[in-house]
Amino acid sequence: MVNNSKDTVMKVLRGDATRGDPVPNFSGMGSITLYGIQQLGYRFNEIHVDARKMADAAASTYRLFGFESAVVPFDMGVVAESLGAAVKYYDKADQGQIIYPTMTRKVIDRANVNVPEGLSEADAKTFVMKEIERQITDYELRMPPDIAHTGRIPVVLEAIRILKRELGDAVAVGSWTLGPFTELGQVMDLEFLLKMSAKKPDVVKRHLSFMVDYLEKVLSLYVEAGADFVTVREMGATSSILSPRMFKSLVLPALQDLFGRIKGVPRVLHICGDTNPIVELMAESGADALSVDQMNRLNETRARLPNVVLLGNYKPFGAPFCEGTPEEVDAMIKESIEQGADAVWPGCDIWPVVPVENMKAMMEAMKKYGVNSR
Amino acid sequence: MATPEQQADILERLKNGVIEYDEDSVVAASREALDVGMDAYKAVMDGLAAGMDVVGEYFAKGEYFVPEVLMCADALYGGLNLLRPHIKMDAEKMIKGTVVIGTVEGDIHDIGKNLVKMMFEVAGFTVHDLGRDVPLDQFVDKYLETDADIVCMSAMMTTTMIGMPVVIEKVRAKNPRAKIMIGGAPINEDIAQKWGADGTGKDAPNALQEALNMIGVLRELSDQFKTERVQKEWGADGLLDASKT
Repeated sequence: MVNNSKDTVMKVLRGDATRGDPVPNFSGMGSITLYGIQQLGYRFNEIHVDARKMADAAASTYRLFGFESAVVPFDMGVVAESLGAAVKYYDKADQGQIIYPTMTRKVIDRANVNVPEGLSEADAKTFVMKEIERQITDYELRMPPDIAHTGRIPVVLEAIRILKRELGDAVAVGSWTLGPFTELGQVMDLEFLLKMSAKKPDVVKRHLSFMVDYLEKVLSLYVEAGADFVTVREMGATSSILSPRMFKSLVLPALQDLFGRIKGVPRVLHICGDTNPIVELMAESGADALSVDQMNRLNETRARLPNVVLLGNYKPFGAPFCEGTPEEVDAMIKESIEQGADAVWPGCDIWPVVPVENMKAMMEAMKKYGVNSR
Repeated sequence: MATPEQQADILERLKNGVIEYDEDSVVAASREALDVGMDAYKAVMDGLAAGMDVVGEYFAKGEYFVPEVLMCADALYGGLNLLRPHIKMDAEKMIKGTVVIGTVEGDIHDIGKNLVKMMFEVAGFTVHDLGRDVPLDQFVDKYLETDADIVCMSAMMTTTMIGMPVVIEKVRAKNPRAKIMIGGAPINEDIAQKWGADGTGKDAPNALQEALNMIGVLRELSDQFKTERVQKEWGADGLLDASKT
């Protein structure tokens, strides 16, 4: 018996939805709208650093549109920052720019290498490359002594607590981290991480093992604070970047390890880009549900994985969602459901500039097409 | 002077060294090319760039992924660094042009940008690399300062590409005929057109593929175009149109 939106969402995530149940429309990733933030009177840069404002911004998509989850945080720097990467916060709303906080200096970063004077441009580049390779080979990442009070993790934890307290009965509260491989790419030079995945996989495995330990702790804190479900976003391991072979040998074991340790709530694995070659492997990760983006041929995936919970896969940026008409948005949602998605769910963060009428059209479309027919 | 057979052998080793991401072999073959007095430009275009052309095919077919392409690029640079100082800059065949390139503000992903940069460097362009997380005004400022032929902007994240139309508008305000290319994971032709850019990859998800496709096009252009004509007529439009053939 489904009582409210949260029950619907949790039932889907647990794999218990049955024919005739409503199909929910929610996300485990950033789903804030600029309209919602403006209604609150907040600036875009504030909502990443202030727990109250973060929670309010996350809740606004539910409050204004009936979107069926409230999810924090919004940017991809939280965990890397807690491990020592430098994050830059922009405030350019006045110039009409929305810029998410971004890592500007990783723990292992070319910008940290002191190049001896007098080298030619080519020699300097070679020097930096050798140095980065050496650092990645030798470096041991270290856990902060008090994770719950490091960087912005306490902000996220407090925002989860606020959401849980204020909306927790009505709407599913979600939180997320990047996956171990993608998070490593936030902490160390991505180009070298990718090359060393091919050249020195044992080095990468060692770092992945650290990252699994660390993400387990962070995600467990999020769950303890009240997250009803968590999403692990491993987009760095998409088949647009890594071979399925490397995904299987390097990334999948880390994901299995991580999902095996996160207990008590449904866990979603999200990968964007080309996931068509790896959906079966994703299903072996131990996640309760899989999230893919618009590049996934969802009807095929549905046929290949009839018993897996699939969340997807509308494109949450550009046209039609952010630049098309409400009628086009309606058609987009209809297609998602027809292709076999268990929930309508975006392939990435929702672009905050989505027009109000398109958000409304999306939620209206759920009333027309949102019935589980499986 | 090297015999034609010797030259063919060296070119083959340059090409295969790039394909097999064997930097040592590329470096050795590049030294040999210089020792036997081979035309450095020919060694770059018909050796290194020809190898990267094949890498692009492998990437398109799903035989190579990004780690392999990056290793191939390292091998290519191993040769390019040796050969480039010996290219005669007045060579008639060389494309002359200036490019301003960077990853937009809020985005630090520069792998795609660096590969596009490499393609321009191979083809003989002067490249001004603004790096990553580049404030939008810097694209405009550098464009004006260098009188560049092309402005290239890259964004990996769906959340960062929104800055691009701002730059396009500002550059266009200064020079309505400026050539602007945008690229990155979420960018596709529709977006490029809507925002008034001259070109981007045909199919968004694989911006890297488009970077790799450029190599073949640039090689063709270098054969077809004389310096003067290139300066007058060549632009992102031509390049991208050519990439579709």
